[in-house]
Amino acid sequence: METITLFSILAAGIAIGLGAIGSAIGEGFIAMKAVEALGRQPNASGKLIRVMIVGQAVTEAAAIFALVVSLILVFYTPEAGESIYKGYYLLSAGLAIGLGTIGAGLGGGLPGGSCMEGIGRQPENSDILTIQMIVGQAVTQTSSIFALTVSLILLSIDPSNDIVKVFAVVGGGLAMGLGAIGPGIGDGLVAKNANLAVGKNPRQMGLLTRTMVIGQAITETTDIYSLVVSLILIFVV
Amino acid sequence: MEAITGQELIRAVALLGAGIAMGLGAIGPGIGEGFVAGKACEALGKRPDQSQLITRTMIIGQAISETTGIYSLIVALILIFVV
Repeated sequence: METITLFSILAAGIAIGLGAIGSAIGEGFIAMKAVEALGRQPNASGKLIRVMIVGQAVTEAAAIFALVVSLILVFYTPEAGESIYKGYYLLSAGLAIGLGTIGAGLGGGLPGGSCMEGIGRQPENSDILTIQMIVGQAVTQTSSIFALTVSLILLSIDPSNDIVKVFAVVGGGLAMGLGAIGPGIGDGLVAKNANLAVGKNPRQMGLLTRTMVIGQAITETTDIYSLVVSLILIFVV
Repeated sequence: MEAITGQELIRAVALLGAGIAMGLGAIGPGIGEGFVAGKACEALGKRPDQSQLITRTMIIGQAISETTGIYSLIVALILIFVV
């Protein structure tokens, strides 16, 4: 039993320690661009600060997912006679959400930053830029939602008594966690440039949003491969 | 925990390796495809009349970026089901 608790507190640290990296950098990026834009357009400070806080709140979601899993792990109480292999499942859950939220946090910051840049240039476009930013950030969060799903599955299923299966489960957590980093950053890059383009040419917003969503969907494919491999490793092997 | 030896160890490490292969292998294509689509959006903002050409080129470019992700998927599936 003590061994499982040892694993659960280690996993809690990994989850929130890694999970805080992305969101923190992403939010810092948004604030940096907001300050830069304020230097250019001090009159638009109300709009800029409001949109900055909305963008940062959406970016924060990834870190909140990591926090939730971390708190579940901190307060995890093993049942009497539970197999010590459950410890590896908990470690895998921590790795999945910790690594998996780095990309979404960084990616969420990129469209937020370019939205600030656009408002700083033309404050009258702030409404459409905010909508564009939120759509882009929402799609970016899918990679962290996949990681959260895998993490919650790992927290809740009963451990197997087969040692080979334990290796498979740790592999599944790493597959989802590492696999979510790239698509998260990639989705953010798409949304960043789409937002910049909308800021320069607001009349083409429909075309740009459509292209952005198609581009993000294609970027998301490797994330889906990781999810599939992760679920195969957890349930099929 | 009991000792793990021989064929079982190979199988266990292959499964762990499958996870690492797919996980690390997905990072590059994810960022690369995002780069392509981002620049495509930038180009569309400047030349909306060329949307057909830009979207087509974007999808071809992303498909080629995707190939290494598919290699990782195949290697992961081989490690899971064949080794």
